[in-house]
Amino acid sequence: MTRLARPGAPQHKPSASHVCLGCALRSLAALCFLLAFHAATAFGQAVNGSAHSPGVDTRPSTDSSGVINIQQQDLLQKPVFANWPSYNGDYTGARYSALQQITPANAPRLAAQWVFHPHTVSPLEVTPVVVAGIMFVTSANDAFALDAKTGNVLWHHVRAISPGLIDDPGQHRNRGVAILGTRLYMETDNAHLLCLDARSGHLLWEVAYATGNKNYGATSAPLIVKDKVVVGISGGDDGVRGFLAAFDAATGEEKWRFWTIPAPGEKGNESWPGDTYLHGGGSTWMPGTYDPDLNTLYWGTGNPAPDYDGRLRPGDDLYTSCLLALDPDTGTLKWYFQFSPHDLYDYDAVQTPVLVDASLQGQPRKLAVTANRNGFLYILDRATGKFLFGKSFIDSQNWATGLDENGRPISAGLIPDEKGVRVCPANGGATNWYSPSYNPATHMFYFRSFEACALIQSNAPSFAEGRAYYASGIQTAGENGKAYINAFSLDTLDFAWRSLQFGRNKGWGGVMSTATGLIAFGDDGLNFVIAEGRTGRPLWHFHLGQLVHASPMSYAVDGRQYFAIAAGSDIFSFALP
Amino acid sequence: MAPRISALLLGSTLLVFGFAARDLHAQGDEARQGAQRFIEYCAGCHGADAQGGDKAPPLLSTSSIPRLSDAELFRIVHDGTNGGMPPFAQIGDANIRAILQFLKNLAGYTSAKSVSTDVAVPGDPDSGRALYFGKARCSQCHLMQGKGGFIAGNLTNYARNRTADDIVKAITTPDTPLAPASQVVILTTGSGQKLTGVLRNEDNFSLELQTEDGRFHFLDRSAVTDVHYTERSLMPRDYAAKLSPKELADLVSFLLVSGRTPQPEKPAAR
Repeated sequence: MTRLARPGAPQHKPSASHVCLGCALRSLAALCFLLAFHAATAFGQAVNGSAHSPGVDTRPSTDSSGVINIQQQDLLQKPVFANWPSYNGDYTGARYSALQQITPANAPRLAAQWVFHPHTVSPLEVTPVVVAGIMFVTSANDAFALDAKTGNVLWHHVRAISPGLIDDPGQHRNRGVAILGTRLYMETDNAHLLCLDARSGHLLWEVAYATGNKNYGATSAPLIVKDKVVVGISGGDDGVRGFLAAFDAATGEEKWRFWTIPAPGEKGNESWPGDTYLHGGGSTWMPGTYDPDLNTLYWGTGNPAPDYDGRLRPGDDLYTSCLLALDPDTGTLKWYFQFSPHDLYDYDAVQTPVLVDASLQGQPRKLAVTANRNGFLYILDRATGKFLFGKSFIDSQNWATGLDENGRPISAGLIPDEKGVRVCPANGGATNWYSPSYNPATHMFYFRSFEACALIQSNAPSFAEGRAYYASGIQTAGENGKAYINAFSLDTLDFAWRSLQFGRNKGWGGVMSTATGLIAFGDDGLNFVIAEGRTGRPLWHFHLGQLVHASPMSYAVDGRQYFAIAAGSDIFSFALP
Repeated sequence: MAPRISALLLGSTLLVFGFAARDLHAQGDEARQGAQRFIEYCAGCHGADAQGGDKAPPLLSTSSIPRLSDAELFRIVHDGTNGGMPPFAQIGDANIRAILQFLKNLAGYTSAKSVSTDVAVPGDPDSGRALYFGKARCSQCHLMQGKGGFIAGNLTNYARNRTADDIVKAITTPDTPLAPASQVVILTTGSGQKLTGVLRNEDNFSLELQTEDGRFHFLDRSAVTDVHYTERSLMPRDYAAKLSPKELADLVSFLLVSGRTPQPEKPAAR
């Protein structure tokens, strides 16, 4: 029997006491699932320990009831079990599933269960959300409810794509939905927040939340925090002014808005002379994370605009390329940490800030861990924003010579000009929006990285609506990049392993991990891969035939665990036979 | 004298909101014929629900289509396009017109150049609203501008392309034709349990049923001992008796006015 949990880590022993017997709708399904756990054990398959912190509700939410009614306790559940109720699974952003049916021993027997083809755009960037056996996915502005066991469509909300958009929103990318109660929330390409009845797909209300600049758009999934829906925007490369906004989940009334580019008179505005703050970027194009105990919302911001020309924006360019810690009730800024002050290389900081409770150098701490597009991995104290640890994770790093004691990069002074400068990591980043994952049992932080350099050129751009605001004609890579899946140990503060990826394509697939010590990701050879998290050794793969531009998830229905991932223009689901 | 309202319809801003294939209470014979012909000639490329396939675009969510006149739409089907759509002249003018009528009903839009800008409203819309959310219990199942139930179709845009007569007919003689996703079925499981609900999907292997409480039931066909197709939707069939002619006229008026009222949340250019 393989044990991947650390010695002394609490073992998960399913028993009836874990089941909320009062929950009439759930109990039967839960019992079925527990029986499946016991059956797996009886057959000698590994049931591994998972790290559940004391005080954390470990009740397996094996809801296959077909009843869509997500409550706060479902959103607060960590780690997640049968349901995957939000983009990253739970609020920590760990993208970690507590399901234990699929193990290193049986993973080689995984088999495709179904494929869903929404007939709209490609590539899909959605992470499916699963509630009570119903899967919700988006494709461009369309939303679908699927039978999570069969992939059959239960309803389809149709909405035309918006004409006249540019850049990412112009490609109608969308990363999925949020659910609260019986309602579903999604962002449209033109930055409208839609509220649908999740039981029918019918529109209840709609709010156009980004106006005044036609270059605004949205590509992300909303995040529910208490009674609010938090949404961000895209268009940072196209000269919009970034913001994060929260709406009343019941009525759609705007509750607060935090501008990531300060207006005249506000702290940080010294970087934005004249009306440049209106076009400063700092977009908020990925979902954030949330700590209910600290009552803090964590959200990454994008690069400043124009991207490669810093002459218009002297100073640090707050609050671009930052992690923001906000009060979710008011939108008030608690602290910020800027990864790339005065960024000149398109180093967005929207990569998921993963909230980790772990010992760091012997001291138990509340941490935020993130691998940044700028090539450094950071560990921060998430209560204060204090920098605790940083490490470069690409060999060719040349834009900074290191980090100082506060985590501020020591710039190497590479200034893009018309001739161009060779910068590593390239503008596409040493990592990007594809998900990282954290396994609380093994203290391993997983993420995809990309080792590449680019010749970054800058030509002074001018802002115009309907046009990108990139400060360059060309960025030439001129060299082949190397991709890795990385396992970084929070125990040793070093890499446990780095797995070089082979393939003709540059993958954009995120990583997830499970309580049985598995990791799952899309690779550069168009495969969906299940690997051993301890070593990175692949255990099983399936050729999807399409590139993954999305991050995987896991769910369970009727006692059966599935993995699902979007690839190209399809959603795939896998389970044991 | 019946009041009249102006229909503030601008073809270029028409978008299809919340359409579901089950919004099909009132279709004339022509549209019914069009539904058959659509499956025969069009669905292979444009998808069975007209939402697009790999070979051809969606017909209901493409914003340029509502801008076309009936004559232009007819010409496209009749003569084909440079973009790769083959001509369908061989199926006959009547079939082409039937397909177009079916699609218009499906989308709930009228092409811009043939929109009637004045609509006769036979009764009092305010009384109709009270009926919709009260005595007539329409809102129990049907959504209207974000308020109401979920089990039946969203009626927000329902009346946009329908006359008062169409709507009266749909209310008093429902299920002509019956939309597949609205069909009430009674399933008997192996354990003898009976489930009554609306069939959201079925195939050779599975049945996806939604009961009136909103719950989805996912069943293996092999585990179901009987599937009774009731050939009807949940729509009550006694409205002609339950509502007076005036009440019916008021209810229809409410639907007509609502269907032609621009939604405040509707995007303009963005």
